[in-house]
Amino acid sequence: MSTATDRRVPGDAAVDDAVAPPGGGPSRDALAEMRNPQRSRAVTDIVARVVMWGAFLVAVVPLVWILGTVVAKGVHMLTSSTWWTGNQRNINSDDFGGGARHAIEGTLQMVGVTALIAVPIGVLTAVYLVEYGRGPLARMISFTVDILSGIPSIVAALFIYAVWVTTFGIGRSGFAASLALVLLMIPVVVRSTEEMLKLVPNELREAAYALGVPKWVTVVKVVLRTAFSGIITGVLLGIARVMGETAPLLILAPYTKNFQRDLFNGNFPTLPMMINQDRGDYALATAAERMWGAALTLILLVLLLNIIGRAIAHLGSVKK
Amino acid sequence: MSVSRISALGAIALSGALALSACASENNGAAPGAGSTAAGSTASGDCFSGDLKAEGSSAQKNAIDEAIKAYQTACADANIDYQPTGSGAGIKQFIAKQVDFAGSDSALKTEPKDGKIEADDAKASCGTEAWNLPMVTGPIAIAYNVKGVDKLVLDAEVAAKVFDGKITTWNDPAIAALNKGVTLPATPIKVFFRSDESGTTENFTKYLKAAAPEAWSYETGKKWTGKGEGKEKSAGVATATKGQDGGITYVELSYAQQNQLPMAQIDTGSGPVELTAESAGKTIATAKQTGTGNNLALKIDYATKEAGAYPIVLVTYEIVCSKYADAETGKKVKSFLKTFASDEVQQGLEAAGYAPLPTEVATKVQTAVNAIS
Repeated sequence: MSTATDRRVPGDAAVDDAVAPPGGGPSRDALAEMRNPQRSRAVTDIVARVVMWGAFLVAVVPLVWILGTVVAKGVHMLTSSTWWTGNQRNINSDDFGGGARHAIEGTLQMVGVTALIAVPIGVLTAVYLVEYGRGPLARMISFTVDILSGIPSIVAALFIYAVWVTTFGIGRSGFAASLALVLLMIPVVVRSTEEMLKLVPNELREAAYALGVPKWVTVVKVVLRTAFSGIITGVLLGIARVMGETAPLLILAPYTKNFQRDLFNGNFPTLPMMINQDRGDYALATAAERMWGAALTLILLVLLLNIIGRAIAHLGSVKK
Repeated sequence: MSVSRISALGAIALSGALALSACASENNGAAPGAGSTAAGSTASGDCFSGDLKAEGSSAQKNAIDEAIKAYQTACADANIDYQPTGSGAGIKQFIAKQVDFAGSDSALKTEPKDGKIEADDAKASCGTEAWNLPMVTGPIAIAYNVKGVDKLVLDAEVAAKVFDGKITTWNDPAIAALNKGVTLPATPIKVFFRSDESGTTENFTKYLKAAAPEAWSYETGKKWTGKGEGKEKSAGVATATKGQDGGITYVELSYAQQNQLPMAQIDTGSGPVELTAESAGKTIATAKQTGTGNNLALKIDYATKEAGAYPIVLVTYEIVCSKYADAETGKKVKSFLKTFASDEVQQGLEAAGYAPLPTEVATKVQTAVNAIS
């Protein structure tokens, strides 16, 4: 609706435009007849504008509000000397400060492992679907990916719990949580990569074939190359999706206040779980401060990854 | 071709950066205090190195946090984690062998519930008998928030009616009768209960059932069956009550203190009793041991009429295997619990809102801890 309004009455002078007779328009008589319709057009225009701006504000205000709150309440934690170097060992809920390094490292490590597993599977699935897949198998895979993308994170976590802990009897660990995150990340990567691959012009593929290039080389060196920056964006979306995911961590990776780099044994520190731990005592100023600090750190981490990803996508994209 | 190299590099960098950044700083992130060699009077001199996992009651979180801090301060290589997810969750994870010991506000059940007997399941999981070791006694406060009311007396019957939604305003004649001379407002009563499975709920309902059987018709259990609005964990109910004029809840003393909530005095029939470590200790001292040998499950007389005894108390246990399949784990549990049961740590708990174990109970616990292997 907004696009239609924009096209008819472009720019900021829209109201003036609507009131003044349009140049090269109908004759004076016809114009007189259209007085009324014209006014109604002006009204429609204003209403549409108000609705559009209203919708924009509704979307932006909470975002700015959240960011503002998190920054305002969390920022002084981040400037404390131990935040980036220490952990929460021996910091009880009514003790001030401590560090978040254990959780930052844990989150990066866990998400890194998740990405290492999910990205190849996701990208290769998308390549299959776009470049090779025909018939019932491809349709089935596509359908399955759709279902997978609709799975709530808690269900993914319980599934892994059922397989990993109940069936195989292996203990809860960071890696088990990674597996649940993989389930959540794959559909995001598949879908976005698929869209990007579809955007690659067929002429490029045909040109490659005409030069006698085998199909797989065409896929690797032409198709994936062309779609590279889009794929990176998709991967980042996937990472952003899983980085703040808490349900799998609650079920599969109990929090520890100590440094822990072993993904396979024992409890594992992550930022969402650190937030959760301190949330339990948010009536205490000391715990609340840590909670906001950890929340801000998590947001910054996602932001940083996005910037890095954008830079890589920019450097790696094919120049026109 | 240069584009190809850059993009390949980029892809590796992105995924690699995530994993590597974590490993790069392997040795330089010591915690403040982790390396401290502070004199270990609280440590039992046999530090373990490695991880020890526990989970369970949130009622004892503040206590076990203190004990963990004391232990870890003396033992730099020991990592002990306690997840305060609730007694029910703790016992389940203990039986599923996901944690080394569980914290629980009530001893393992010896009667079937939902077709399962907790004590038997725990025994099957351990391979040997599982012991209930009372480690922390936590008085449960009836905490309230009513503008202008700093002192409130309740008895079991009125409390039961309030928590059952039968008394709905603060100036109800039943409350007024117990509080002569206090001006009670007409504010509606807003009850907050624990929405998670909680030993606090169980002990509180046991008290209501024992001391006011007519007014409290529900079964006792970890799940709340009365009226009100559910909030998660001890911190949840305490915070909710603090933010609601007319609010009332049952919560461990430590949480009521942390949130500066006023606490009701309980009239047991021999006068109103204020909640203190001493008045709660009197009730614990009258408790009977129901377990045999080193299994120290206690039975508290909630209907006690002893003068000066505050009747709503909970004993939180550490649930351990008497003999661990993995001897190493057994040593770790024993070493840590020795510190927890030591007089230094126990005396320190009073400041955190708990009551220390009465001497004769403490001695039994120390004997039992020494028998863990």
